[in-house]
Amino acid sequence: MTITRRGFVRAGGVALFSVGLDPLFLNRAAYALTYRPGDLATERPVLVCLFQRGAVDGLNMVVPHGDPIYYQERPRIAVPGKDVVDLNGYFGLHPSLAALKPWWDNRSLAAIHAVGSPDATRSHFDAQDYMESGTPGVKITPDGWLNRYCQHDREHQSSAFRSVAFGPELPRILSGSAPALAIGDLKTFGLRVPHNPAGDRVTRAFEALYQGASTGLLAESSEEGFAAARQLQAADPSRYQPEHGATYPNGKLGRSLLEIAQLIKADLGLQIAFADATGWDTHVNQGASEGQLSARLKELGDGLAAFATDLGERMRDVVVLTMSEFGRTIHENGNSGTDHGHATAMFLLGGAVNGGRVLGTWPGLAPEQRYQGRDVAVTTDFRDLFAEVLARHLGSTELASIFPGYTADPARYVGAITA
Amino acid sequence: MAAAPAPLSARDSARHALNRLAYGPRPGDVDQVARDGVMRWIDRQLDPSSIPDDSLAGLERRFTILRESPDDLARIFEAARRARVARQKAGDAAAPDTTDAPPEMRRLAGEFTDLAVVRAAYSERQLDEVMADFWTNHFNVYAGKGIDRYLLPDYIEHVIRPHAMGNFADLLIATAQSPAMLFYLDNWESVAPGAVPPQLARAEARARFGRGNPARLDSVAQRLPKGINENYGRELMELHTLGVDGGYTQADVIAAARILTGWGIERPRQDPRFVFNQWAHDFGAKTVLGVPFPAGHGMDEGIRLLKMLAMHPATMHHVSWELCQRFVADEPPDGCVDDAVAAWRKTGGDIRAVLTAIFHGPDFWAAANRSAKIKTPLEFVASALRASGAEPDTTFRLGQVVARLGEPLYQHVAPDGYPETQDEWVNSGALLDRMNVAVGLAAGRLPGARVDLDAVVPAQENHEALVDALNRQLLGGAMSDHTRQVILDQIKDLRDSAAARSFAVGLALGGPDFQRQ
Repeated sequence: MTITRRGFVRAGGVALFSVGLDPLFLNRAAYALTYRPGDLATERPVLVCLFQRGAVDGLNMVVPHGDPIYYQERPRIAVPGKDVVDLNGYFGLHPSLAALKPWWDNRSLAAIHAVGSPDATRSHFDAQDYMESGTPGVKITPDGWLNRYCQHDREHQSSAFRSVAFGPELPRILSGSAPALAIGDLKTFGLRVPHNPAGDRVTRAFEALYQGASTGLLAESSEEGFAAARQLQAADPSRYQPEHGATYPNGKLGRSLLEIAQLIKADLGLQIAFADATGWDTHVNQGASEGQLSARLKELGDGLAAFATDLGERMRDVVVLTMSEFGRTIHENGNSGTDHGHATAMFLLGGAVNGGRVLGTWPGLAPEQRYQGRDVAVTTDFRDLFAEVLARHLGSTELASIFPGYTADPARYVGAITA
Repeated sequence: MAAAPAPLSARDSARHALNRLAYGPRPGDVDQVARDGVMRWIDRQLDPSSIPDDSLAGLERRFTILRESPDDLARIFEAARRARVARQKAGDAAAPDTTDAPPEMRRLAGEFTDLAVVRAAYSERQLDEVMADFWTNHFNVYAGKGIDRYLLPDYIEHVIRPHAMGNFADLLIATAQSPAMLFYLDNWESVAPGAVPPQLARAEARARFGRGNPARLDSVAQRLPKGINENYGRELMELHTLGVDGGYTQADVIAAARILTGWGIERPRQDPRFVFNQWAHDFGAKTVLGVPFPAGHGMDEGIRLLKMLAMHPATMHHVSWELCQRFVADEPPDGCVDDAVAAWRKTGGDIRAVLTAIFHGPDFWAAANRSAKIKTPLEFVASALRASGAEPDTTFRLGQVVARLGEPLYQHVAPDGYPETQDEWVNSGALLDRMNVAVGLAAGRLPGARVDLDAVVPAQENHEALVDALNRQLLGGAMSDHTRQVILDQIKDLRDSAAARSFAVGLALGGPDFQRQ
């Protein structure tokens, strides 16, 4: 028997019918009756997760230009030292990420290298599955770690927009019993009806239909949906144009970041945002300073820079975390590309970030330092990084439930987030 | 508080059967099935070959993908892939996502998903279609993985569909030997450690005598699989047969993988077919679930393993449980599962017999289990097409409609397939989108279909009569009083009777009653 988490409120407050065992539902019910735009505080921390699907080449993204082995192993695709945007004399950014340098300099951008999964799989979808479920090696986990975070932190569940994935379907990482929205396009979310009396009629009609006629999940979800659509209409996030001269790159990633920024500014209670980008699986002709990977990185760097510029002061409360299911081989392959590897690199950007450093423990590229003789070794389990972000940025204390089968230990945190 | 259950009327039982064994009623179906007798209708559905399906056959002729053989598809996709690689090699940095498919591939992919929706909505052999969908998810293959792109159509056509209501062991073995599954779960790359294909052995021998190209040999050797790949062995037990609690161990998984070494694909990119590669097979002795598999056996021990798994009690239970979840309730009642298992045991895994046991059991008809499930996106779209009398157009976009609601067909990445329960499908965004689909369909704007509501619910001034007709034709009489009242209220002041009719249809199909099955 599925126990639902909340009850629903009959229109007019005539009857309060609880089908759940949830003391917090009363707060939520009260919220539902009294919500006004602007109610939700702007001080709450926001986490934006960006998944680079396809296994991004960490070595060409955060380049170990100080290591001669890097150049020996990649005669055609290594990024020349003169082209990198130097970070600390040993590592540098790929030149296409130059837009991010100011945030490195003002210490709100950090990179972490040699981060990845303890599991050996080189299957894209298995590895993505593990990184999204937060349980490497275990395939039967029904939900994602971000959803489990939401399940265990109900305090912030006061908005239909608490956790939002920007894309056509809800990704694994946000799937689970806690409510989460998948928004394909902010402008068209909700009932596709004109904002005029005829359109309002349709909306009201459906609300009336669902209000009295359904119970359980159908009732809750429809109510949430209508509330979300209403809130969205009232807040009209699309009116928030990019500020401070921010220019988002064309394409899906730029658009997702723009919409996340709009949703943040609309003060709708967004706490967790997720977007993904593909095109990182560079097996063939990856390019060095220019080429395929460079083009993807330009979109990423320009997009993140625009996002941070656009949000300005509000970046104080925001952390953007990039992730990818694994990295790529140290040695280039016969097609001027790279094959599936092990550890990769990730970025953190935001006010709470301990920026201006490359975090983690760099294992080196020498043959005896590699994973299975071919890949960058993992020295930081991705769960250590995610746990630190959840604990220190979002204040979570439920890490054992969020990452089952794993014990978080602050001693292993890389120091990505200021405590 | 529960009163004595009222006897189920003929129409109620017809509607329930149509909602579960079929993708919902078409106008007039409830009356027809009630008149013929629902159990007689069920028996017919259990024997699909006895049901003529000419109008679906007519629709299927539009689909060019049904005329492409596996090697045709391989050729088309491989040519497109080579063209893409050539563009990349030419340093075309502006080349978008490697996932961008050229027009012909997109057209074929669109046809393929549209075909699934068309079959679901328009076949007379409804139960067969429901079972095809069930097994497509149970034996999930992800079309986005490499060559599975073009292996899927043959998989659906010749592995899933023909076996959907036959013997489970036959179906299991067919999936195990399908190039689609062999590739998806990597078994084609699983070889006994140290195994060397004969061509490579010969080439290496030549190289030792100073002939051939050693560097090339090295790179070929490097790309060859090195050992056992457990992926299929594990999913075979965890998902396809015994179930995650079925009592197998990691050692069993490895043993199964060893048994299935050699089960591979011949000429994957030209003419993909099953092949048993002797050279790759592990001929040693194994033990699976305590059962010894003596040394020296080749492909036959794989067949033996699959048959053993197909008749294992845990498998009977696991798959019966899933069938009861699909047909009876999200939380399947024990009695239903027991009946199904008994039929499985008695008939050696005859799917038809298992289904018969389920449909004849009290749980299937129990009031608590009627109208208590929520339609999946595919079920919602197919049932909306059926209820409204819509017809597919030739744009092949119905697959996209289902995808928009969260179920892009054949695109489920993990081997567990799309889920069945409402928890997975009912979320706020998806519900709003269903309402959009309903309103769009009623207004004649649904991509992939056209509808002529005049033929089903003619517009009329008398709103009560209109809503009655709507209830009878589209909802099979299942409209709740609340829905009826809301619709009447909402169209009350609409002067234009055609507009009132479309609005009413949109509300009915997008409303909560129609989400239930």
